[in-house]
Amino acid sequence: MRRDRFTERQKTVSLKDKRLNTLRHILVYCLLSIVLCPLSAQSNLTYELRVGTTGENTLLAEFPETYSGEKVNIKIIVESQKSKVESTEQLDFVFADGYQPKLADAFDSIYSYTDESNVFWTVWRSNKTIKNRGQRVLVANAYKTFEEYVRTHTAAARMKTGWIWWLFAGLVLFGTLLYGGYIYLQRRKEKNLSPVEQEILRRKRIGLRRHYGSQLYLWLLLLVLYAPIALIAVFSFTKSKVLGNWTGFSMDLYVNLFTGKADAGLNSAILYTLIIALVAALCSTILGTLAAIGIYNMRARQRKVVSFLNSVPMINPDIITGISLFLLFVALGMSQGLGTVCIAHVVFCTPYVVLSVLPRLSRMNPNTYEAALDLGATPAQALRMVLLPELWPGMLSGFILALTLSVDDFGVTFFTKGSGGLETLSTFIYSDARKGGLTPELRPLFTLILIVMLGVLIYINIRNSKQEEK
Amino acid sequence: MNKVVQIFSSRRTWAWPYVAFMALFVVLPLILVGVYALTDIDGHFTLHNFAKFFSHSEAIQTFLYSVMIAVFNTVICLLIGYPAAYIMAQEDFKTPKVMAMLFILPMWINFLLRTVATVELFNMCGLPLGEGALLFGLCYDYLPFMIYPIYNTLQKMDDSLVEAAQDLGANKWICFWKIIVPLSMPGVYSGIVMVFMPTVSTFAIAELLTHNNIKLFGSLIQDYITTTDLLNYGAVLSLVLLIIIGLTSFFGDHDAKEEGGMV
Repeated sequence: MRRDRFTERQKTVSLKDKRLNTLRHILVYCLLSIVLCPLSAQSNLTYELRVGTTGENTLLAEFPETYSGEKVNIKIIVESQKSKVESTEQLDFVFADGYQPKLADAFDSIYSYTDESNVFWTVWRSNKTIKNRGQRVLVANAYKTFEEYVRTHTAAARMKTGWIWWLFAGLVLFGTLLYGGYIYLQRRKEKNLSPVEQEILRRKRIGLRRHYGSQLYLWLLLLVLYAPIALIAVFSFTKSKVLGNWTGFSMDLYVNLFTGKADAGLNSAILYTLIIALVAALCSTILGTLAAIGIYNMRARQRKVVSFLNSVPMINPDIITGISLFLLFVALGMSQGLGTVCIAHVVFCTPYVVLSVLPRLSRMNPNTYEAALDLGATPAQALRMVLLPELWPGMLSGFILALTLSVDDFGVTFFTKGSGGLETLSTFIYSDARKGGLTPELRPLFTLILIVMLGVLIYINIRNSKQEEK
Repeated sequence: MNKVVQIFSSRRTWAWPYVAFMALFVVLPLILVGVYALTDIDGHFTLHNFAKFFSHSEAIQTFLYSVMIAVFNTVICLLIGYPAAYIMAQEDFKTPKVMAMLFILPMWINFLLRTVATVELFNMCGLPLGEGALLFGLCYDYLPFMIYPIYNTLQKMDDSLVEAAQDLGANKWICFWKIIVPLSMPGVYSGIVMVFMPTVSTFAIAELLTHNNIKLFGSLIQDYITTTDLLNYGAVLSLVLLIIIGLTSFFGDHDAKEEGGMV
């Protein structure tokens, strides 16, 4: 973008400079170790026991399903809904290796540090629906005891998890030292060069540093962006029911996904997502293409009004679209379900179709359609034989866009799906996550989606660059 | 029959079904939000709901807090995203397309799943969930929306202006602040709109990232609107949100989303 003397010179620098390769390798090594360390070290983070106040002096413990045979690390979170973040604290509770956890044991250990008569808890052992299967023991003043315990133990727990940051700092220090040493050695070598050569080398170095600095920035950003996704992808190859707990390599989740052994709710969610996406994309493509043709032929003022109308669903955030449609369906007395979700999806997909078809229209010769009519074609024939062949690339990209928007949507679906048990993937994940655990088969599913999308994008990129070459 | 053919051969009429559809499913629902806000549960006109909002300190506090979080998030996204877009638009950056693609790719993973994975990542690193996690998660979800429009405007920028400035003796900083930044403002505006609006209305992310400790305005609306008795009050809250959205998009670019089209 910018072209000054400096960048001109920078361009002449060969980026395959051997010395820089070493530097690059060091950087890559540092980054890799930062990523891999937490993954390799986290085999014992499994159970989460949530303890929180629900109101006056009550405590609530949440405990996801027990899985025997895994190393256990029970985390107890004390949270109060009255005061906000300040009181969220975590502490780790580690059982010995090979210890088979049972709910009763877990609660025994709670008893050991709280006054038995003071605990109120509820156990959520849930798969599909939250069912309260635990006992409830309600007594007053539990929170204080708990809070005290947490306060004394949190510091210790933090120390335990602090090692990863020491490792990180160590790696950074190590990298810096290596780099510094490398620079020092270079400088010493250069001392007996002529001043002119030294100056050239200095400028080269500044240019390269800038180049790699900016590269590093982007890659670090990508690293952060992809870390959670990498987590999902890595843990799709293990059987463990909890994300973050590695129990050895296994392809079981993939097998389950394809043989229909996964959770029934997940299967139906996938099915409904596909049905809704296809119906919505198809409807919005037809409606949107017709609308685009109409808008294109309108007079300026009309066109402005309709274009504004078209942009409203795009500007509106999900929640507003969802709520307003929800109110409409309530006011009309429509029962909410598959039909209403489809309508809602058409509402927010169509504007994008319109926008992807319009450019195609302005690129084509506006007279061909009239010519076809003059030559005796009916409007339907002219549409089929003149307009559609010109418009289909725009329609196709609109269709695909609508498809992805529909699959990805959460907000609108959430408010229009009704209470009849209809779930799409998004709402399924949401209700799953609220219960504290994800259905494990979601991991392979999204890993596959990611791989497919990566493939598609690479394909598009290669095709585009080939077209550019031509 | 002939008349029918005549009507349909004028292509202007082809948009009618769409206009009718939009009137029914976009305009009417938005009007209904206002209607529900102004009526009580039996359908009688009342201003009670508004009065309730202005005396309901929790709602107002949540609202201000959400706006603050959204502003913070937008600023953070801008501070992180602008340099990234700038680097990608540099002439000597070899693979801008691949980079842009890599930034967009995560958007194809369901954002809720990504959020859950983020929570897990925070647990692994021993970081507490809370405000920090919330800001991280929001920034993580909406960063591509900031990078993309800025990158687009920077890329389309006319290089000769920068060259002219340099010929006239401007140094690097002056060049950046007086030429590049003002010229990239359209992209920045649409980036801000595209990050701010979804953040201020977000409702699921906050719940997951803070174990329900922090309530944003979106969650509050969700709570009220899904409770039958309080539906009308929920409509008032939605109306407040709608006003904020209207103001933002009025100040921002109208075709903000067009600019940052992701496909």
